[in-house]
Amino acid sequence: MAAASGTILSNMNYQYPKIAEAAELLKARAASLENKADILKAVELRALYGEIATLPVDERANFGKEINTLKAELEQLVAASQNEAEALPPIDITAPFDTNVAADKRPKLLPSEAGSIHPLMQELETVLDIFYRMGFTAIESRELDDEYHMFSSLNFPDGHPARDEFDTFMTVQQDHNGHPLIAPAHTSIMQNRMLRAHADNLAKGEPIAVVIPGRVFRNEDLDARHEHTFYQFEGLYVDKGVNAGNLLATFKTFLSEYYQQDIEIKSQPFYFPFTEPSFELALSCPFCQKKGCNICSQSGWIELLGMGMIHPNVLREGGVDPEVYTGFAWGCGLDRLVMMKYGIEDVRHFESARLDFLRQFV
Amino acid sequence: MKLSVNSIQGFNKLYGTTGDVAADGIDKLVEKIGAQLGAVEEVVDFGSKYKDVVVAKVVSCRKHENSDHLSICTIDDGGVVADVARDQDSYVQVVCGAPNVREGITVAWLPPGSTVPESAGKEPFVLLARAIRGEISNGMLASIRELALGDDHAGILEIADDIKPGTLFADYYNLQDDKVIDIENKMFTHRPDCFGFLGVSRELAGIQGMAFKSPDWYQLSPEFPTIEADELSLTVHNEIPELVPRFTAITMSNITVGPSPLWLVIELTKVGLRSINNIVDYTNFFMLETGQPLHAYDYDKVKALDGGDAAHIVVRYPRDNERIELLNGKVINPRQEAIMIATQTQPIGIAGVMGGASTETDEHTKNIILESANFDMYSVRRTGMAHGLFTDALTRFNKGQSPLQNLAVLAKVVDEIRQFAGGKVTSAVIDNNNLPAAVMERASLHPAIPITVDFINERLGSSLSADQIKVLLENVECTVAVDGDKLDVAAPFWRTDIETREDVVEEVGRLDGFDKLPLVLPKRTITPAKKDNLFESKRKIRQALSKAGANEVLTYSFVHGNLFEKVGQDKSQAFELSNALSPDLQYYRLSLTPSLLEKVHPNVKAGYDEFALFEIGTVHGKAETDEQGLPKEFGRIALVWAAGPKVVAHKYEGAPFYEARKFVVDLLSDHITLQKLRFVPLVVADYAGHELFQQMLAPYEPDRSAVLYDGERLIGVVGEYKRSVAKSLKLPDYCAGFELFLSAFNSSKGSSYVALPRFPKVSQDITFKVPVNLPYQELYNLVWDELGKAQPERTFPSLSTVGIYQRDDDTAHKQVTFHLSIASYEKTLTGTEVSKLFKTIALVAKDKFGAKWV
Repeated sequence: MAAASGTILSNMNYQYPKIAEAAELLKARAASLENKADILKAVELRALYGEIATLPVDERANFGKEINTLKAELEQLVAASQNEAEALPPIDITAPFDTNVAADKRPKLLPSEAGSIHPLMQELETVLDIFYRMGFTAIESRELDDEYHMFSSLNFPDGHPARDEFDTFMTVQQDHNGHPLIAPAHTSIMQNRMLRAHADNLAKGEPIAVVIPGRVFRNEDLDARHEHTFYQFEGLYVDKGVNAGNLLATFKTFLSEYYQQDIEIKSQPFYFPFTEPSFELALSCPFCQKKGCNICSQSGWIELLGMGMIHPNVLREGGVDPEVYTGFAWGCGLDRLVMMKYGIEDVRHFESARLDFLRQFV
Repeated sequence: MKLSVNSIQGFNKLYGTTGDVAADGIDKLVEKIGAQLGAVEEVVDFGSKYKDVVVAKVVSCRKHENSDHLSICTIDDGGVVADVARDQDSYVQVVCGAPNVREGITVAWLPPGSTVPESAGKEPFVLLARAIRGEISNGMLASIRELALGDDHAGILEIADDIKPGTLFADYYNLQDDKVIDIENKMFTHRPDCFGFLGVSRELAGIQGMAFKSPDWYQLSPEFPTIEADELSLTVHNEIPELVPRFTAITMSNITVGPSPLWLVIELTKVGLRSINNIVDYTNFFMLETGQPLHAYDYDKVKALDGGDAAHIVVRYPRDNERIELLNGKVINPRQEAIMIATQTQPIGIAGVMGGASTETDEHTKNIILESANFDMYSVRRTGMAHGLFTDALTRFNKGQSPLQNLAVLAKVVDEIRQFAGGKVTSAVIDNNNLPAAVMERASLHPAIPITVDFINERLGSSLSADQIKVLLENVECTVAVDGDKLDVAAPFWRTDIETREDVVEEVGRLDGFDKLPLVLPKRTITPAKKDNLFESKRKIRQALSKAGANEVLTYSFVHGNLFEKVGQDKSQAFELSNALSPDLQYYRLSLTPSLLEKVHPNVKAGYDEFALFEIGTVHGKAETDEQGLPKEFGRIALVWAAGPKVVAHKYEGAPFYEARKFVVDLLSDHITLQKLRFVPLVVADYAGHELFQQMLAPYEPDRSAVLYDGERLIGVVGEYKRSVAKSLKLPDYCAGFELFLSAFNSSKGSSYVALPRFPKVSQDITFKVPVNLPYQELYNLVWDELGKAQPERTFPSLSTVGIYQRDDDTAHKQVTFHLSIASYEKTLTGTEVSKLFKTIALVAKDKFGAKWV
């Protein structure tokens, strides 16, 4: 009753004098009781319930409701006193350890070998390190954004069918334009911001070269292969004279460094509103050297990510003149890289916080 | 998008495309499609199940004496099937149970040893020569269902086409080894033309360097027959030209609605459509061929709705409270912005989505209206979504079909219906055309695009010549004018997507093959990439905490509403999801600690006695938005330590708070000057106005938690959790933790170094008895400050705490023992000098706190 209502009941006004009287009596008695829970067994309370049957039919419900309220009030009283009884005394929070504690029983850190870094974050560090060495700076993506950065700034016109490809989570709350806020479904939400933030690079004759990792969300049911929460890293490179061959070469270079072997790539034309041309990239399987294995479904190739030359409308919207500059972008899933690397069978392990899982990754 | 390779080869030959798109075999073709068109979802073997089916003629047919429905037939197979018993005329005996079997009809014969096509891929049913009630039947005569070409099983298939007995069914209907390739639709989101066989065939030719030739009937301004029977008058009134750029229609009479010709049934079956009747099938087939959906209305029903002597079509928005029954039997109230097709009195269809039931063509239909129209892609898409209606027509309309092909497709269907369903044209073609005159004049949706060879090569990294580019584009029927280095590219009338120079670049790159591009890394300056401090501090935090034995976890950014209740947070502060599939994802979290606390119990249950979980994450609160109204994002680091009673019994004494404090001091020591770290008693009221911080404090027990400051800067909270929190989340008794702002870590202080004294250090302990309520820190600070003032010149002191004790018999006081080490750069210090130092400090301590040196 008390838990269901969730509100604190105290000094309630009871309409029925009988109940009001009993309330006063019982509360006073409770104050003097050693075990406050006994008050719930009081005969007076039981007597009130007994009375319901004697009342005119149309009053029974209201009377009954009031007794229940009284009972709830008493229950809360009991619960509060129990919490109070269990409450521990204040401590000196400025001290490094408690009073009268022998030196060998004082706080200590856990053994290092018990510690672990999350495999996704380990991998992200590896990825960022490679891109850092390749001259890319890094910035983190957002976890809550607006319609403009998710769609409009990326050349998805309002109502465009390509918006359907993303099952986005939306909030009840709206942005200034009356659109719901959006849990980003891709790290590309940062493209417009990065183009603007690094405009001075171009002015200085330097490229915009950023890699943007972050959490992204899709409103999907969970199973071993589907998560509603996963990680991507976006890449953005803009300069004079950047071409599609550069894009493919850049990612081939990254993959070869990441897998520490010469990786071949295969591009497949694709459609994204924010790149033109767009590709899906497959890499030669680094686990079997294209011979065919379970990871690549015996095909020798692994489809990995989407990429393309940044659409002139996206550049323009980011304040970059597409007549002068061109660029490329990609968005690559991190979870998949890690699952393939360790043979992780269920994507749900990542956000499970299970030590059985985590402690395998020292 | 599904398409049959044999069908494509067939009409390429018919229309005059150079070369064979599948000349190198299906595998190569699929690989080529993958590299230059889009992902192939699957390749289905459609043809092999027909390899043994033979077209035969029934020569004689008599009743089976021992059966009331069986017939004994002899069939002429031209003698082509080997190993089968034949009579003196070389005919073959087959017993057949179909009521329609009779002498003279042409049938599909499944000889002994063949597999019934319907059973292929399931449990193959192989036919034999066997006796049925005493008469040998060599295989069987097949029905439409047994041929896997539909549901009809009332009788055997009667082939209407004039085919020589003994012809292989697969040869005549072009099914030998036919494969159906299914290409992922996603790739064609911006390519409405590729939702038609013509569009995809053109691409298949283009990516292989072949010149595609569209059929002659596929043209901008086709000719329509003049009225050839009594006129059936139709008017079209378009009230919303902004959403309906073009609406073309024509009427026809004398229609014989009936079964479709077999070739058409086969073509539809190949791509997964069912044959309905010839009129519906023709309109469906030419939709599949061109991407342009068509609709046939029963003319007389349309006319009757208005009760006059002509049919009227009005294109308009829905009227208030209008309802319509659709072809699928559903009755809906169309959304206000839907495009309605109506008569003068009532709606007869939802444009682009589905026709209405009241004007459906059926077996009695004699007169029809054929419609070929163009609707706003966004509008029809929203309408379809609003009513949960998804049709083949909508899939095509919502990609934005070219309005320049409406007449071509209409004319073609009219022609087919005239030839094969008896139709006669009974009106002039109506063309409600609201396109800009310029579009009609140039016969292309967008103006020709001026581009240079350099522009293309610079963006691709290629080195193509003007002539090579011209050939690539002309192969897919673009018009290219070359003038030295300059090109003018005009897209054909069906292409909606070639609008900018980048579109031309994509087209050229794809047709040539992106796999041919030279892989060259970008050239750039060697300015070093800027380091991101945030990632740097996160890395350090991870390393420090994992070294301290803690485990990094990642938990969801979203939480269930009842988690807020369990930890005492105010959910009205949190951003709420409106469309989550699961109640576990109702709100954006307000702090990280509750998510971590939820993960404690499952790990205890899994058998872990002692552990520390930490997470680095982001939180949001409604109270915190930026100038653009966007929620601010706050980085946080939280840790929860938990230990079971067994571990505690042999390892720890005292409040769990101090364990969390140990972790937080250890972590912060790399980032801030520890002397500036302050632990302040938690009083929630002090943070009124800092909504998100108050929410962060909610799970913490005020009497046993501290707010942390780095000097004057608020950086977080450390402490134990409220009893109610511990209860509702089943936390063990020994549990404590902290949550800090990530911004506290944005400067790395690094190590500082003080030169080492040459002389040995002297060490001594000092114990003060102080009132029990004096916070330890105040005493420590006093000792340290006074030490600084009183220490001899050029000395290097260090101070640590040895113990804090309380005697059983004196609960009003506690005793704190410090350990002082001090060394000089100039000489060896003596015990006397240290004692003198202690005396000075003790005096101040006594004065200030009533501390007694014991």
